[in-house]
Amino acid sequence: MSGIGLRAEPAAERYNRNRVTGLLLGVVVLLVMSPLTGKAQINLQITKEGGQSLPIAIAPLQGANGAEGSGIGNEFAEVLSRDLDLSGYFRVMSRGGEAGAGEGVLAEDINFQNWSDLGALTLVKGVVSSEGDNLTIEARLFDVALRRQLGGKRYRGERRELRRMAHRFADEVMLLLTGERGPFDSRIAFVSTRGGGRAKELYVTDLSGRQISALTRDRSLSLGPSWDPSASMLAYCSYRHGGPYPYLLDVRTGDQTRLSSTVGYSGGRWSPDSSTIAVSLEQDGNSDLFLLTPEGRVVRRLTEDSGIDVSPTWSPDGRRIAFCSSRRGGPQIYVMDVGSGNIRRLTYQGDYNTSPAWSPKGDLIAYTTRSGGFRVMVMPVNGGEPRSLGAGEDPSWSPDGRYVVFSQRGRLMIARRDGNSVKELTRGGGDDTSPAWSPRLE
Amino acid sequence: MRSWRILGVFLLTLLVSGCPKQQQGPGDSDLSGPGGAGGLGSSGIQDRNLAAKDPGQRTRERIEREGADRGAGGPLSDVYFDYDAFDLSTEARNALQSHADWLKNNSGAKVEIEGHCDERGTVEYNLALGAKRAKAARDYLVNLGVDANQLSTISYGEELPACKESTEDCWQQNRRAHFLLVGR
Repeated sequence: MSGIGLRAEPAAERYNRNRVTGLLLGVVVLLVMSPLTGKAQINLQITKEGGQSLPIAIAPLQGANGAEGSGIGNEFAEVLSRDLDLSGYFRVMSRGGEAGAGEGVLAEDINFQNWSDLGALTLVKGVVSSEGDNLTIEARLFDVALRRQLGGKRYRGERRELRRMAHRFADEVMLLLTGERGPFDSRIAFVSTRGGGRAKELYVTDLSGRQISALTRDRSLSLGPSWDPSASMLAYCSYRHGGPYPYLLDVRTGDQTRLSSTVGYSGGRWSPDSSTIAVSLEQDGNSDLFLLTPEGRVVRRLTEDSGIDVSPTWSPDGRRIAFCSSRRGGPQIYVMDVGSGNIRRLTYQGDYNTSPAWSPKGDLIAYTTRSGGFRVMVMPVNGGEPRSLGAGEDPSWSPDGRYVVFSQRGRLMIARRDGNSVKELTRGGGDDTSPAWSPRLE
Repeated sequence: MRSWRILGVFLLTLLVSGCPKQQQGPGDSDLSGPGGAGGLGSSGIQDRNLAAKDPGQRTRERIEREGADRGAGGPLSDVYFDYDAFDLSTEARNALQSHADWLKNNSGAKVEIEGHCDERGTVEYNLALGAKRAKAARDYLVNLGVDANQLSTISYGEELPACKESTEDCWQQNRRAHFLLVGR
């Protein structure tokens, strides 16, 4: 995505860019009596798993000359607020109100007491200026108690990239406060009937869940999107010329290309190095796994078994593939070593486990289990106790491996992988299913 | 009957690397079909029975005509399956026997056997399960002496339910092989 023209750089040094160094910002506020001084210190830390939410106030961006940034400033704050709420790490507070009236956006110009009185522990403020269709946004994150800046970014880009700038700053806030960049500058492709009737089309949304665009208008069935590692192509299953056939869709141009004339495709996943696509193809009624090149040539057959083999998913190092197989009765998750072809069974709890998704961190596999209804589970790759993320199906991991998106009764949900936060991403206008979270955008 | 056999036989309709990279919003463009570019046959010959109608058009019509999934649709009634199963019950076999008789008496008839699943389960697995169901019905008909050239199969997984409520009764109606008359 080189054409985006969105640049980020640290806000200028004159803004006294203090990085937090030994201080500990975070979700849990601990009032600690220091044994040495007897004085209370505020100690914030974002805990890795679990924990409370960090209160953060997000003020609308101001106009460069002190005027209100108006629609642009509000939109930036809305997208940022939405992202940080979805992250599950933050309690996003009312955006400013009276607290920020008349004050500047640098630490020395902010009345931190007002923000503190609101209950905010962290604060985002910024300025937007525009020149023609181009925007410059400077956004800063402050520690309210310590009254200092934790980080800042300047973004330049076209007006239509405003939301991406907000997503990028959300990722930056996550980096500053959790030590790891957030996943919000990315997209989620999914299948929906929101176009009406029984037709299923592909859609893509940003992480606000509110910038949804249709990728197909076939009035047919388009299923199971899977991103290539550059986040520019989707492999998916289409009935537009019978089938079902594997197709590729160029997300920028909308071009749809049939990947292979082999009928009986049920789904596939791009390898991490983008050289091959692991797919499930049905032959004479039975589905097995194959490796295809992105040009549709079969590189290798991976399984040959009379049971159903579907839903391959790659380990991030590309050496293993988890998949769903009914080779020993009900569907279970298996892991194959791609080099040797050795296969071991991963799931033993429950009699119906499908749609595995391998975390980009490599450590966990999410999948769907049937237990009464259907639930999304995560379990360690090397075995261990599965954990439920909630009712739903068809999980897909965020590029940072901290979140899972899945479908739940026709809407898309985003859960933190510890299950401590589950938030709604989309709702309404039809059944939204089969989400695929893209890699980070460039 | 689905006629591809060997996975080495692949048509590359378009080389991905050859796609024009235009700056254009997603969804704005005319969506080109695979037919236009022609196929670069890699090896061998692909034979496919000619359907009376573009199979893509058939799917679109199936999507539009929701009512056609319910009740009496043509001379061949639906055949039902148990949950997560594709073996044929006695009832299913009896139904298929009468279907076989009809097909033999109407040897010009062509039927697409659709495999369907209920909503419980994931999309990809159900696509594969639907294929097993369609194949089971097809093989049984062929064993009863129906000409294989009268039959083709397609899986719709859980995508075209006959009944939309989340009840056991409804799910049972959706776990089916549906017989679509596609030519006579």
